[in-house]
Amino acid sequence: MSQMSTATLAGPRRRVTTLLGRHPVGMVFVTPYVLFLAAVFAYPLGFAVWMSFHDYFFAAPGAIVDRPFVGLDNYKTVLTDPAVRRSFYNIVIFLVINVPLTVVLALVLATALNAAIRGRTFLRVAYYVPYVTASVAVVGVWLFLFSADGLVNSLLGPLAPDPSWLVNESLAMPTIAIFVTWKQLGFFILLYLAALQNIPKELYESAAMDGAGPLRTFWSVVVPAVRPATTLVVILATITGANLFTEPYLLTGGGGPNGASASPVLLMYQRGVEQGNPDVAAAIGVLLVIGVILISLVNRRLIERD
Amino acid sequence: MKRMPPALTLVPALALVLTATAACGGGGGGDAQEAAKATGPIKVWLSNNKEEVAWGKAMVEAWNAAHADQKITAEEIPAGKSSEEVIGAAITAGNAPCLIFNTAPAAVPQFQKQGGLVPLDDLDGGKAYVEDRTGSVAEQYKSPDGKYYQIPWKSNPVMIFYNKKVFAKAGLDTEAPKLATYDDFLAASRKIVQSKAASAAIFPAPSSEFFQSWFDFYPLFIAETDGKQLVADKKAQFDSPEGLRVAGMWKTMYDEGLAPREKYNGDAFGDGKSAMAIVGPWAIAVYGEKIDWGVAPVPTSTGKPAEAIKTFSDAKNVAMYSACTNRGTAWEVLKFATSKEQDGKLLEVTGQMPLRKDITAAYPEYFSKKPDYKTFAAQAARTVEVPNVPNSVTIWQTFRDAYSESVIFGKKPVDETFKAAAEKVTALAGQS
Amino acid sequence: MALDHPESTVATAPGPPADLDRTTSPQMPGRRRGVLRALILLLGAFVFLFPFYYMLIGSLQAEPDTSLSGVVPKGNLTLENYSEINGAVNLGRSLVNSGIFTGGVLLFTVVFGLLAGYALARLQFRGRGTIFALVLLVQVVPFQLLLIPLYVLIVRSYNLADSYLGMILPFAINTTAVFIFRQFFLQLPDDLFSAARIDGAGELRILWSIAIPLVRPALLTTILLTFIGPWNEFLWPFLVTKQADMQPLAVSLANYISNVAARAANPYGAVLAGACVLAAPAVILFVAFQRSFRTSDIGSGVKG
Repeated sequence: MSQMSTATLAGPRRRVTTLLGRHPVGMVFVTPYVLFLAAVFAYPLGFAVWMSFHDYFFAAPGAIVDRPFVGLDNYKTVLTDPAVRRSFYNIVIFLVINVPLTVVLALVLATALNAAIRGRTFLRVAYYVPYVTASVAVVGVWLFLFSADGLVNSLLGPLAPDPSWLVNESLAMPTIAIFVTWKQLGFFILLYLAALQNIPKELYESAAMDGAGPLRTFWSVVVPAVRPATTLVVILATITGANLFTEPYLLTGGGGPNGASASPVLLMYQRGVEQGNPDVAAAIGVLLVIGVILISLVNRRLIERD
Repeated sequence: MKRMPPALTLVPALALVLTATAACGGGGGGDAQEAAKATGPIKVWLSNNKEEVAWGKAMVEAWNAAHADQKITAEEIPAGKSSEEVIGAAITAGNAPCLIFNTAPAAVPQFQKQGGLVPLDDLDGGKAYVEDRTGSVAEQYKSPDGKYYQIPWKSNPVMIFYNKKVFAKAGLDTEAPKLATYDDFLAASRKIVQSKAASAAIFPAPSSEFFQSWFDFYPLFIAETDGKQLVADKKAQFDSPEGLRVAGMWKTMYDEGLAPREKYNGDAFGDGKSAMAIVGPWAIAVYGEKIDWGVAPVPTSTGKPAEAIKTFSDAKNVAMYSACTNRGTAWEVLKFATSKEQDGKLLEVTGQMPLRKDITAAYPEYFSKKPDYKTFAAQAARTVEVPNVPNSVTIWQTFRDAYSESVIFGKKPVDETFKAAAEKVTALAGQS
Repeated sequence: MALDHPESTVATAPGPPADLDRTTSPQMPGRRRGVLRALILLLGAFVFLFPFYYMLIGSLQAEPDTSLSGVVPKGNLTLENYSEINGAVNLGRSLVNSGIFTGGVLLFTVVFGLLAGYALARLQFRGRGTIFALVLLVQVVPFQLLLIPLYVLIVRSYNLADSYLGMILPFAINTTAVFIFRQFFLQLPDDLFSAARIDGAGELRILWSIAIPLVRPALLTTILLTFIGPWNEFLWPFLVTKQADMQPLAVSLANYISNVAARAANPYGAVLAGACVLAAPAVILFVAFQRSFRTSDIGSGVKG
């Protein structure tokens, strides 16, 4: 955090300001946002957590229903449900494919883009376009491409997997992982581009003087220099991946062959909204949030260690 | 980078939020007696099926012309599976309309549990009206407490459509093809696929939404067991010998590649990818011009005669929702919309079968003009609905997951999987 | 049904602003490397753009053609799929609704988000740390967890069903934008502010005459990023609006794609045409403004 220069303050004001901070007007500035967060985020979140400890379902206003406290029952149900376990496993598969792929591709493409001079605008637009379009729109063409008699299979000919991509138990989640990587990459390329801009020229020059080739330069100059960006990319990709809903919902409606591409949030939606069990859904959600926070902390520590 | 929040400030904030939450919830209930008599403008929802909307708008106009002080406002909601979510959310929020002309019988137990529905028995002459109009079939639409929370409105009895051109190409009889027994059905399917007349014999959606079983397993199960529901007497019925036979038939279809395991994005039958489809008469409006179609009842293992075969009704009903304040008007509109005249219009415009006693006798002109529909009308008298039990959607999802795993993808043996699922389902049906 | 949440959290240390149009990597000698680089980039661009090209071609087909030769159109082109959409969905009205929804979010975000970002960056007050932690937490929690309680709150308690405010409220202040503003204000030179304070200027004055005039670059970036969310948002407006004339474009088209398109003469074509119409405004807007899109405000100071 940057240091603020201190101004001298008179006596009574000092007491107020140490209680409320040096610039209490800041609280005023922040108030609309805080109110917004309280109403639209904190309240529903608190409610969801409360729900996860009760036998809860939504009823019409005025209906008298029993909502007993059930302690950890919902969590027990969730943790012993094979479908839920499968969905967490699916997310791990997704993350294992998506995160490294995102990091590598984004960095490579950003590095190349950084040095390119011609056609830069076109390339930038090209990479960002999938990010800007709604999943609903893009999913249609992907389904078209990856269906059993779609273009991809026509190209692969005899190598085409059978059953085809999205209905293949072992290929469904990886296919979704690739789709999401493709769609989000533009944003991460941008993050890396910004980080690359900040690498001082001297580092490149000294590497060149040591006789390092492009690959070596990349490896020993670029990669370490963008490490904070990498942390950011990894954490963001992890969070987005863990909260995956749209793509499994659209690409494999209902969770894919045997739940092979169900994600925890998809299950939350099914259990909570479709089947009317918001208490179980809330339990899944709480577990997911805790898991994501833990993984993010671990990721950060791992990457920033060496 | 991340700063750990001072826990001290978060905890009281959260506590405040939680206590506030606990304090809310539960408000004053409306006075049902008064509401039952009240009249005034009401809101209704229609599904967004093109023909149903056309019928609905005409019905609303007719009513509004005669009742200027009790006008109906009609809105459309999605017809697909998402309609249950929309309705559930509306019930919770207290802004559901008075009538919804797209209430799925499978969702009724859930809406009822939420306190979202008005029992028709509590309305003036409600029970008598329902039973009078629909006859004995109405029994299946009663809720466990013996009351009617929905009025059976229209059904789409599920039968086998076949593409006459494809059949001809495969060398099968087009006027009276042999599809009555499982063996016949399988033989015909094999011929179709081997002769490459179509890439699939029949193409039910292999995805795992909870309602997909209504269009592969369930109709055959109903036909085979002569009218048993998935759950009867609070016990799962599908792990019986009949249920296993039906599952076996479908498993053979999937194993031999006669029905694909991959979802088709579009209409397989309409696009000529499959030779048969298992649908109801609403499909006639869609395929009518495109495909030269024929219809046959669903197969049974022994080949029962067509007049004895029962099938799934795929009904959509109308219910009155508790958020309704002008229930007097709503009840009159409901009776109007299900009157003989309006039912006739529904039949004409959509081709779907009103759930009315003896429709062939009630609308002789229509059926003499459109003999194709006569088969469906006859079938409509022999339909079976989804069981009206608690946790109905979860039950169907549980069944679908088991079916998908064992029958469609063959990962596990059918009898074990069905037995395990049956135990779960029986437990769910027993809750209240 | 889709839910699109652009999410980004940023590291906190400041750094010099960067300009995308300036190359900082040294000129690498050797034509071979240049060619290799160009190849990688073009391959990447191809992979990224091909599905869109295919989407366009597919939407113009009269009959669905999934073969390899169908990639390059030879006849078989028609605008019928688009006219079908025009007949089924009130495109003008939907666009207006999307515009109001997105515009509302942008307005709230720019006004209140900027205030909050500035305060978090430049002012010290009680609870600043907690609020920042909340900002981070907001990114982690999935929307589906909050969905139904939020729905009950907005529709039942506030009675805002079928209204623009009801659509806007959950998205009113984009947290990512708050982040970006904070980041931006952090990297402004301290002297600007300390000098003003020593001169005795009140905080409001500082905000008005110093901070806001400087924020323009971050503003455009924020607007572009914040635009994507509400424009593409499907699930929430879908639940909250029932009247067809209140629904934004994403909902109308998604409805069309999932229900009506199956009845069209060429279902695939109809679906893809719907998709093109939905994607077009966002892409066009981005292409038009991308030059002003500066990565500095998102990611500078991503070192250390």
